[in-house]
Amino acid sequence: MPKIVIIEDDPAIREELALLLANEGFQTAAITDFTDVPKQVSASSPDLILLDLGLPGRDGMSLCARIRKNSSTPIIFITSRDCASDELRALSLGGDDYITKPYNIPVLLARIKAVLRRSGALSGSGAEPDVLEAGGLTLRLTRGTACAGDACVELTRNELKILAFLMSHAGEIISRADLIDQLWDSQIYIDDNTLSVNITRLRGKLEEIGLPGFIKTRRGMGYQL
Amino acid sequence: MTIGEFLSDRLDRLLIQVICIASAVLFLKATGTQSGILIILILALVPVLGALQLFDFFRQRIRLRELEAILEGLDQKYLFAECVPPPKSLYERRLFDLTRRAGRAMTEAVSDARAAQQEYREYVEQWVHEIKTPITAARLMCRNMESHLRRKMSFELDQVQDHVERALFYARVGSPERDCILRRIWLAEIVDQAVANHRTLLIQSGTRVETGGLECFVYTDEKWTAFILGQLLQNAARYSGKDPVIQISARPLGKQVQLTVRDNGIGIPAHELPRVFDRGFTGSNGRHRYNSTGMGLYLCKKLARFWSWDFRLPPGKARIPQ
Repeated sequence: MPKIVIIEDDPAIREELALLLANEGFQTAAITDFTDVPKQVSASSPDLILLDLGLPGRDGMSLCARIRKNSSTPIIFITSRDCASDELRALSLGGDDYITKPYNIPVLLARIKAVLRRSGALSGSGAEPDVLEAGGLTLRLTRGTACAGDACVELTRNELKILAFLMSHAGEIISRADLIDQLWDSQIYIDDNTLSVNITRLRGKLEEIGLPGFIKTRRGMGYQL
Repeated sequence: MTIGEFLSDRLDRLLIQVICIASAVLFLKATGTQSGILIILILALVPVLGALQLFDFFRQRIRLRELEAILEGLDQKYLFAECVPPPKSLYERRLFDLTRRAGRAMTEAVSDARAAQQEYREYVEQWVHEIKTPITAARLMCRNMESHLRRKMSFELDQVQDHVERALFYARVGSPERDCILRRIWLAEIVDQAVANHRTLLIQSGTRVETGGLECFVYTDEKWTAFILGQLLQNAARYSGKDPVIQISARPLGKQVQLTVRDNGIGIPAHELPRVFDRGFTGSNGRHRYNSTGMGLYLCKKLARFWSWDFRLPPGKARIPQ
């Protein structure tokens, strides 16, 4: 389980960010006393550091330089300063990524995971599973196929994402709005009508391989497997 | 300055000289000087006085031309008095001193105004950065809310953020060169970022976004480009018709890339088209349906001009140098 240290002076953001990362399955440690940050950081030996630029006492830039002196732990800057010159300086001081507030949460998580994957702290364990199984259906994401027993069917990118999301929340009711939200996260920018069309096609394909009624409609609430 | 202008300016002095010569001639004639001597005297005096005037004329003309050349060459015209060589005659020197003092007062006023503007700009930037912290906190807290409420809150937060962004970019638009990095960047990445920034508005308005041909590298500043695209996406989502679709596509155009953003919205009345890039112009759509600010497209056009993009409406085309 990768460990992430949060260095952020705003208490609300610090707590919410820690909660968000904990929900995503990371171990977190937040720094609340800004007197000797490098020492505290090395004491908790993290896999990743999230660093704010505007900190009390010491500037985030010099802090990054200090940490870099005796550690190669990946550092992601998270700051409200979006000047090009700040970004250049932060990256030249050894930062691994530079994210500006207010960030889009899925984007933030994706970039954290990307940095962790690069540093080798997130190998296998946190990576997305390639095969999903639920209710007798096997979904292979990289191949883009859904199989029930010996019968297989090829899915389009949209159908694959919809089915993957439903299967990873098997049993739960997923509202159409949540489903659309999730698809937009994956750069599939569809509207309500297009979603209906995709669901109908998906149901047709599942029926072909002998799984009619696999996706149930819960009137007024959404879909459920 | 022509010789005619010069002479008419000195008419009074010339007249006095003529009267003096005439009265001297009359006086000498009355006291019994011979006519021949008088003619010699007139023939000697008139060319000398005439030559003096001509000399004055050419000297003044050369000086004026020199001063004009200096003014032409100056970048900041109000610094003229500081740059010209001081004149030689006492009267002109005094006049020159007065002008110079006035000029200095002006220079000070200009630099004060510049400093005030700079301070204000810095304050706006700082304020924008400070406001982003609570917005971020609110966004994070939103996540734990019940999904219906979360969507409403995200929508409002997006609005706040869009207004804040516009204020920031407005403060920066005067000198965009201070805050841009030209980089080789994957065009699809910028488009995805712009869409992600406005996703709540786009989803809420039931918009479908279709992208095509964005798989290419461009040389541009990511942040500014995403901002411009974001303004177009917002407009498309706000002024949408039935079954809104936004198509974002790109195609190579020589050494450049033509990026096209096309929507099937309500459109802009033809007579308003020439003014859509004016500052504060809100078309009839903007006034009737939403309280539009008239700033979005104005900022886009100004930024596009800085990047020397060919940024056009209709049908809304921006060209990014590759």
